[in-house]
Amino acid sequence: MMTENERWLTAHHDPLAALYTFSACMALADLHGDGESKLIIADLGTGAYNMKLKVYKGTSLMSENTLIDLPTGVITFHMDTTEPRVPAVAVASGSYIYIYKNLRPYFKFTLPTLEVNSAEFDAWSQARDELLDVSMLYEILDSLRQEVGECGLTTRSQRFLMCPDHASQATFLNQHKGFILKRQTVVTCFATLKKSHAEDDAISCLVLGTESANIFILDPEAFTILNSMSLPSVPVFLSVSGLYDVEYRIIVACRNGQIYTLKRGTKIGRPTAELTSQPVGLLKRDKTTIVATMDQNLHSFNNKGKRLWSLKLPAAITCVETLEIRTLGLTLTALGMADNRVMIYRDKHLVDTIYTEDRISAMKFGRFGREDNTLVLVMKGGGLLVKILKRTARFEIEEAQGSSHALAVKLNIPKKTKLFVDQTMRERENCVLMHRVFQHDLYRLRLNTARAYVQSLETSSNPVSLSQTEPLKLSAQVLGLGPTFKLRVELQNTSSTSPSLQLAVIFHCDDRIYSVNKSYIQIPILIPGVIHVAETLVTCISELGISDTVRVFVVKGKASRPLLTAVISMPVAEIFMGS
Amino acid sequence: MDGVVGALINTNIKYKSGTCTAEKSLYTMNPVTETPESQVNGMTTTTVPPGSALKAKSRPRKAPELQTVERRNWLIHLHYVRKEFDLCKHLIREQLEETRGMCEYANYVQGLILRQEGKIQESFELFQLCNILNPSSVENIKQMARALFLLGRHKLAVEAYLQAEDKLDKPDWELHHNLGVCYLHLKDYDGSREQLMFALEQNKHHQTFAVLAKLYLLVNDVSSAISTYRAAIEYFPENGDLHTALGLLYMQTGKYQQAFEHLGTTLTFDPNNTRAILAAGSMMQSHQDFDVALAKYRVAAQSIAESPPLWNNIAMCFFGKRKYVASISCLKRANYLAPFDWKILYNLGLVHLTMQQYTSAFHFLSAAVNLRPTKGHIFMLLAISLTYLDDEENARQAYEQAVRLEERDPSICLNYGIFLHNHNDKEGAIKMINEFEVRMVKFRHATGADLDTEIIENGAKLASLLGVDGSVFRKKPGRTRLDAQDETVLLEKTASVTDTLKPVEESVCQSPPPVPTAIPELNPSEVPDAGNTAVLVPPMEALTLEEPPAFVSDSSNARGKFLASARLQFQEDESKVTDTENKKETPNSGFAEYSDDIFD
Repeated sequence: MMTENERWLTAHHDPLAALYTFSACMALADLHGDGESKLIIADLGTGAYNMKLKVYKGTSLMSENTLIDLPTGVITFHMDTTEPRVPAVAVASGSYIYIYKNLRPYFKFTLPTLEVNSAEFDAWSQARDELLDVSMLYEILDSLRQEVGECGLTTRSQRFLMCPDHASQATFLNQHKGFILKRQTVVTCFATLKKSHAEDDAISCLVLGTESANIFILDPEAFTILNSMSLPSVPVFLSVSGLYDVEYRIIVACRNGQIYTLKRGTKIGRPTAELTSQPVGLLKRDKTTIVATMDQNLHSFNNKGKRLWSLKLPAAITCVETLEIRTLGLTLTALGMADNRVMIYRDKHLVDTIYTEDRISAMKFGRFGREDNTLVLVMKGGGLLVKILKRTARFEIEEAQGSSHALAVKLNIPKKTKLFVDQTMRERENCVLMHRVFQHDLYRLRLNTARAYVQSLETSSNPVSLSQTEPLKLSAQVLGLGPTFKLRVELQNTSSTSPSLQLAVIFHCDDRIYSVNKSYIQIPILIPGVIHVAETLVTCISELGISDTVRVFVVKGKASRPLLTAVISMPVAEIFMGS
Repeated sequence: MDGVVGALINTNIKYKSGTCTAEKSLYTMNPVTETPESQVNGMTTTTVPPGSALKAKSRPRKAPELQTVERRNWLIHLHYVRKEFDLCKHLIREQLEETRGMCEYANYVQGLILRQEGKIQESFELFQLCNILNPSSVENIKQMARALFLLGRHKLAVEAYLQAEDKLDKPDWELHHNLGVCYLHLKDYDGSREQLMFALEQNKHHQTFAVLAKLYLLVNDVSSAISTYRAAIEYFPENGDLHTALGLLYMQTGKYQQAFEHLGTTLTFDPNNTRAILAAGSMMQSHQDFDVALAKYRVAAQSIAESPPLWNNIAMCFFGKRKYVASISCLKRANYLAPFDWKILYNLGLVHLTMQQYTSAFHFLSAAVNLRPTKGHIFMLLAISLTYLDDEENARQAYEQAVRLEERDPSICLNYGIFLHNHNDKEGAIKMINEFEVRMVKFRHATGADLDTEIIENGAKLASLLGVDGSVFRKKPGRTRLDAQDETVLLEKTASVTDTLKPVEESVCQSPPPVPTAIPELNPSEVPDAGNTAVLVPPMEALTLEEPPAFVSDSSNARGKFLASARLQFQEDESKVTDTENKKETPNSGFAEYSDDIFD
């Protein structure tokens, strides 16, 4: 299955690494200033517990720190100017950003709380002072929810409203009423922004996107909010470029499927591009933005939001990553696909494909160990794969690889046998005769069919009556295994108004084979549409184990011709050998 | 500001003093163990007054942690966009259990996933729930409207969209586009156009352009549809579907040159676009580029191996290349795939006639005529096959029917005239040759082009045999064909009127019939034909072909048009066939074109 790629070497493959992570939760950085870059992965564990911050040195796991909540993202950045220049690690998780220095917890930043609805605040403070009882509080909060919606309330009110009965509500109120009411939000994505210098090891600000549809820029030294901006929807992916003190541009993909741009000095995101599907990844190029969408497309937009090109991809995209290969002066786009491969694009041209054994869940490209161009892949099943780009690798755009392939394909035309040719020759020679014989036989066939039809009409041996006076429908069923069967006949008057009178059902069969319990059944008046059921028992009396047919006639009054006839082929009866 | 710095220092000290191992320090970081005051760390505004801090101390030291309902929204969203629906549903279930079904976003994504799984009604209920949880969100109402639309309740969907529009502070492309589509389904074309235009003002999306063009086509405003597509292509120059649609429209209106350009553009960007391949292929066929067309069809056969029009077109390429057995094979496959398609049956009849299998030809043609009793050309072929089957009476009746049903095609009259002449009905033959003349003159007027040389020559020959003035049937100098000779010969044979013709015939028979594609002049002569004729049969046919899904709805219109237009090419073939009673198989341009018609 796995074809060795000529451009990439497999440096490390651990299918049992058991990692659950995203591209945003991976980082590559020289954490110890020893010139060797480490891989930092925030592992989501099982998705509920066992979350860890893992650091790989080379192929081995170097350290593991427990995380309290699900990590949203991991970033390494320089927060001060101390020597040696060692970056700090920031882990976003829930409403907090945890900062680690030298892999030791250093600081925890809490997101600013949101404004609490004044009515809600009043309700809780009155409840604290015992001016409101539990059920009144519940009513006030419930009506407030109708007004502002679930997400406009504080967590405490939300949880209070979730309490199913009075007792649990009272307990809840007692537990919580003494504390300050606050409304918190969570981080959804984050990134770094260089503060005033563009060097690799310059001080960076943190840029946070929150569930409350805000973007915050944090000062790295004092951890104060330098700038706060708002968006019409919740940010999902961020792409940041520029310098905070000079000019910067933040491109945000949001949950409403739109892309917004924020610049220095703006407070509100400017709509840049509207997508028709949810974005799965966002990458920034010099003057363009590359967006992968859920409908298997890759789009390129310029800064003004004009679509430059779109590509339809063969499978769903799971993650995207920029491959910046400085030695070649190339910036490529890697797409992790749902069909177990990584497709690498140079602009809109496919230049390479890496096949893997599993779906790609996360990718990170950069310096790992002492190797500059390393691609770290995490599989959906938890495997870890590290690929190193060969120094001889080149990514040239191949021209027209598709068309030559198509030409090689042969059309699948059914072959004709010699018999076909012989028949053709025979037809050529005898066409008039063949035609006449065929037409002659065709006429005979039609004639026979018509005769048989007329005959069946004449003898009424059809189960649906076509006569205008007595429109009837008959259906019969045989129940049982034998030797005694039950014959069940359903009669229905299919006319719309006129009822049928004086009907009877008669069973007729060979009396050497079957004996019929009631061979004559009188039918009461048949009202249109109502199904009448007539039943009788039929016993197979033959010892030869053969079966025959039973005829069912529907007759009217004393008429000699039946109205309808049904012929029932009886099944072979089970015979009691003992008797 | 001071307060913040103070808090910061405090925490720093706490960490530094207390931490030797990572685990231990993490414990201190745990929000659960912290006092509520310390959670607001880093905020500029919420320093807690000392009094309340004291108060808090007197109570139990920590509040039970309340986890935000929205804390996993980002994870649900991420898994959703990656289409990891299993994981996503698992997460949503956990989240809803934890929040007793109150998490709006989890319900919302659950609804989206159910929609993708085709459970529209269930997803609608979830969006309704979201709307109850958060009545202020426009997004929930839009999703409800979308669900209603997918359930086919367009009126309710329109109401929901209008309700959403009321709540919006600024216009939204998606909303107006969807409104336009709803109005389209409700047959309120004016309302639909208005909404779509408005949506385009908000934002240019190719979907909106496509719907707008479809709307124009529904009201038979082809020129507006074309201009819509042209506008769309300016914004989406690489969108193959838009180019294909425009190309097909150009074909319909007879602008082959432009049509071919746009179809070519499609194939540059998307070499596997089967609609464009079929359309372009049929155009190539009409220009006798059978090999190029076959190469294109080969690509298409990879993806739509069960398309009856594709196999029909392939068959007619082989017919044009005079590979009759392959042609019959492909046609039979097409017939197997679409047993009630009269065009395929017609082609089968034609190929069998060419193969001199008159019985089989009659069989297929009578099937075709049963499916399509209003088409004169089928009757003509039927008459020809009956002639060979020695059924004079029925042949005569079929000819009568053909002449009556097809009022414009001159070749039917010519064939009937030849038939009458061969059966010694001079009077009827003269009537037919006169009718032929009238139709030919009309045809020249209508199209500005001339009939196929062979037909004219045969007409002239018949006229001279009948002693009628044949001066109308003069040849145009440039249009002589090699085939023409063959056919004349054949004609004589059938007619067996004059001795003089016979020697000619023999010589012709010996020489292998020339391949039309090899002759350079042939192509140029054909092209103007196609370009000039207003009727332009081939494009129409191609159009239908390319769009297999549209097949059922469009076919009636398209067929009607084709039929009318098809006769031109058709006649060529037939006239040859009739003329040459011995049925030499000339690969005529006419056949090829004919084949195009057949496509639906």
